[in-house]
Amino acid sequence: MRPAAVHAVPATTRVAEALRGVFGSLFSAQIFLIVKSVFVDLLFQKRIFDKSSLRWLAHTLIFTGFILLLLMHAMHSVVTEHLFKGYQSTLNPYLFLRNIFGVMVLAGVAIAAFRRITLKPQRLRTYASDWAALVFLGVIILSGMLLEGAKISSPSKFQSMVDEYASLSSEEDGKALEAFWVQENGLISANVPLPPAPELVAKGREINGDSCIECHASNKAAFASFTVAKITPLFFTVLGDAATVTLFWYLHIVACLAFLAWLPFSKMFHILAAPVSLIVKSITGDRLQEPANILTRQMIGLSACTHCGTCSLECSSNMFYESFQNDFILPSEKVQYLKKIAAGKETDPAILKRMQQGLYVCTSCDRCTTVCPSGINLKELFVSSRYALLGQGMPETVMLSHFSFPLALAQNFVDDHLQALKKVTDIFKKSFQHLTDMALPISLGKAKDIGNTTFRGCFSCQRCTNICPVVRSYDNPAEALGMLPHQIMFSLGIGNSDLAMGAQMIWSCSTCYLCQEHCPNQVELCDIFYTLKNGALNKIEAGANS
Amino acid sequence: MKYAFFQGCNIPIRIQQYATSTTAVFAKFAIELEVIPEFNCCGYPVRNVDEKAYILPSIRNLAIAEKKGLDILVICNCCFASLQKAKNVMSKNRPLMAELNAILAKEGLNYSGTAEVKHYLTVLYEEVGPEKIKAQRVNAFTGLNISVIQGCHVLRPREITHFDDSFVPRITEELLHTTGAKSLDWQGKLECCGAALAGINNDLSHTLLKEKITGAQAAGADFITPICAYCHLQFDTTQKNILLEDSGERLLPVLLFPQLLGLCLGIDELTLGIATNSTIAPEDIQRLKSLLGPPVEEKKKKKVKVAA
Repeated sequence: MRPAAVHAVPATTRVAEALRGVFGSLFSAQIFLIVKSVFVDLLFQKRIFDKSSLRWLAHTLIFTGFILLLLMHAMHSVVTEHLFKGYQSTLNPYLFLRNIFGVMVLAGVAIAAFRRITLKPQRLRTYASDWAALVFLGVIILSGMLLEGAKISSPSKFQSMVDEYASLSSEEDGKALEAFWVQENGLISANVPLPPAPELVAKGREINGDSCIECHASNKAAFASFTVAKITPLFFTVLGDAATVTLFWYLHIVACLAFLAWLPFSKMFHILAAPVSLIVKSITGDRLQEPANILTRQMIGLSACTHCGTCSLECSSNMFYESFQNDFILPSEKVQYLKKIAAGKETDPAILKRMQQGLYVCTSCDRCTTVCPSGINLKELFVSSRYALLGQGMPETVMLSHFSFPLALAQNFVDDHLQALKKVTDIFKKSFQHLTDMALPISLGKAKDIGNTTFRGCFSCQRCTNICPVVRSYDNPAEALGMLPHQIMFSLGIGNSDLAMGAQMIWSCSTCYLCQEHCPNQVELCDIFYTLKNGALNKIEAGANS
Repeated sequence: MKYAFFQGCNIPIRIQQYATSTTAVFAKFAIELEVIPEFNCCGYPVRNVDEKAYILPSIRNLAIAEKKGLDILVICNCCFASLQKAKNVMSKNRPLMAELNAILAKEGLNYSGTAEVKHYLTVLYEEVGPEKIKAQRVNAFTGLNISVIQGCHVLRPREITHFDDSFVPRITEELLHTTGAKSLDWQGKLECCGAALAGINNDLSHTLLKEKITGAQAAGADFITPICAYCHLQFDTTQKNILLEDSGERLLPVLLFPQLLGLCLGIDELTLGIATNSTIAPEDIQRLKSLLGPPVEEKKKKKVKVAA
C-alpha cells in the first residue's frame, strides 16, 4: 500500500529529488538551520526536554553514556588513542570514566523501565521489542562490568600481567605485591591469607609504585566493576577464574554484536533515522515543496519512530480509544502498524478494517505531530494512509461523524473523500426501508422505546419542519431528505424505527436544535436524530460483521 | 480568579488567535486562564456514532478540572455544549457515572460533578460586567456594523446549555454594545453555519454558510463575529475555499469578539492576532482602526440623543 498522492512517482525521480533537496540545503543558507538543529534537536534533544524532564534525563543518560562508551571504549584504537597521548585503558581517567558512562546508561534504562510501568494506565503501550531494547542495553553494560569485575578478581589475570609487565627481583616481592592487590585492588588469591599482613601490604605498595602504577591505576577507580567484582568468586568456584573471564568476554561481545545485528530491524534504527527526520523538519517545517519527496519523508518517519508513546499520551482521541477499544486509535500504534503495512506484511481485512477506523477516529488536532520527539510528520502519514485505505473499498461508517469536518476544511483528497463517502451512503440506501418504496397502506405498530420517548408528545403541528433550515434549503425537501422531521416523529409513533433510521433527513440534520427548541410539546427531535444515527450505524456495523 | 482554559482541538492548531486574544482580554480583568495540557477532545466529533463515547471524554476533562480545583472556561460552543451535556447526563444517570468513573479510575481520576463549566461570554457578562468593561476601555468604535452569529450549541437546547434566553439572547448583545459597535439585526444571527455537515454533506453545508454570508452582507455588516470555533472556521476558512470556486464575490471579513473588545481595551492588534484571520485584508484593519476613538465622546453623544 502506498499513499495515494505519491503513488505515481517512480523511484528514480524520488531518489533524484531527495538528493537535490539534500544538496540544495547543504549548499545554501539552510546549512545554519541544520547546524542549529544538530545542537538543539540532536545533541540536546530539546523536543524531549520540553515534554518531560524525566524522559529527557533517561534518554540523555543512555544517549551520552552509550555514545561515549562506543567512541572511547569500543572504538578506542580508532578514537581515543589518537585523541589522547599516552592512553591506556587501565589508567585514569579512562578507567573511572568507563564506569561513570556505564552507570549512566544503567540509570537511564532504569528510569525508562520505570516510565513504561507507571505510565501504563495513561495508555502507554509497551511491546516485547520495547523491553528487548532496554534489556539489550542493560545486558551490554552489565556484562561489561562483570567482565571488568572478573578481571579485577582473577588471580590468573593478575599473574599474567605480573609476568608481562612487572620485573620483580624476588619471589618475596611477588608475594608482597599480591598481598597489596588483595588488600587494595580486589584481587582474590588463595596464596594470600586474609587479612594480609600489614607489613607485606606496605612493601607491596612500594613495589606497586615502582612496577605497576605507571600503567595501571587503582581498581577502585573502576567503582562499578569493583563493586560487581564481589560476586565473581561464586563463578570462580564453579568455572575457575580464567573461564569466568572468558565467559563474560563472550557474553559482552555477543551482546554487542547481536545488538548491532538487531539494530536495523528494530526501533533502535531511530539512531540513524531520527536525526534525518529532525533535520528535515527543521528545514521544511513539515511543508515539503516537492511532492516526489513525500514518500521518502514518510519512510524516514516510519523508521524514526521509537514507540516512545509520547503521541499516544497526548492524543486528544484517547477517550475514544477507551470507548472503542481499538488500539489503532492511538497514534503510536498506528505507526507501528503502518510499518508492517508498508513492508507489505499485513493483508488481514479484519485488522485493516480496525486500522481504517483508528485512522478515522482522529480529531485532527495535530498534537501527535507537534510533540513527536523524532519530528515525524504523523499528521501527513495518517491523512494519506487514511485515504489510501478508504480507497481500497471498505466502507467506513465513522466518515459520517464530525471527524470529517477538519478534513473537509483542509481540502486534501477531496475526490477520494467523496468516493469513500458514497460507499457509506449506498449502504444506507440498501439497508433501510424508504417511505417511497413502501406499499400502502402503512401498517400501524406499537411505538418502540428507542431510548428517548419524547416523540410520543408530537401532536403534528409541523412546527419542526417549518423552522428547519435544512428543509428550507431544498426545492423539493421530501424528495431530497426522504422524510421531513415531523414525519420521522410520526414513523416512530407507529413503531417503525427502521423507516426513521433510513431517512436521509437524519444525516442532513445540521444539529442546530431549532426544531427541538421550538417544539411546543417538548419533543426532543435533534436528540432523537442522534439516537437514530447511532442506531443506524450500529445496525450497519452489526450487518457487516455478521 | 483563575479558570482551567478549555480550548478544544481546533483552537490550538487552527485558531490560536482566539485563545491569545481571550487570554489578553481576561488578563485586563485579572482573570487568569490556565492551559491544561492533559485535556482531551470534548467528545463532540463522535456524537453521530455513539452517545456514550461522546459523554466519556467530557467526563474526563471535568474530572481533571475537579482534581485541580478549577472551573472550566470554554471558548468553543460545541465543546461548551458537550461539557454541559455530559454534566447533565451524569446528574440523571448514576449507573453510567459509575461505569465511566471506573474507566477514569485507571489513571487516578474521579468525576463527582463539582467543577463548573462556563462560557467565556458568561464570565465576561456576569463576573466582570458591562460597567466594569466600559470603565476599562481606552477606545470605542463608532459606525462599526457587526453581524454576530451566536452559534447553535451555546443557545440550544436551553435546558442543557443554561447560557442565555435561547430566543432573544442578550448577553452577547450587551457585551458587544460596550465596544460601541452596532450589532445588526439579521436573519442568520441564531442559525446554523453548516459546520456540522462539512465532510458529510458538503453541498448542504455550503448552502447554509452562503445563506449566512449573503444575509450578513445584505444587512450591511462590516464584519461577522462568530462566537463558536466551528462557525469561525466556516467563515474564515470554508468561505475562502468556496469563494475560490465561484470567484468574484466579496469576502465577508471575520472578527472575533475578544479581538473587537481587545482593541477597545488598548491591547495591540498583534497580540489579538487580527491579521491571522485569513479573511481580513490590511484595508479592513485600517478601516477598523479608523473607526476607533476615545470612548468619552460616545457617551456624550448618547446623552445628546437622550436629551433630544
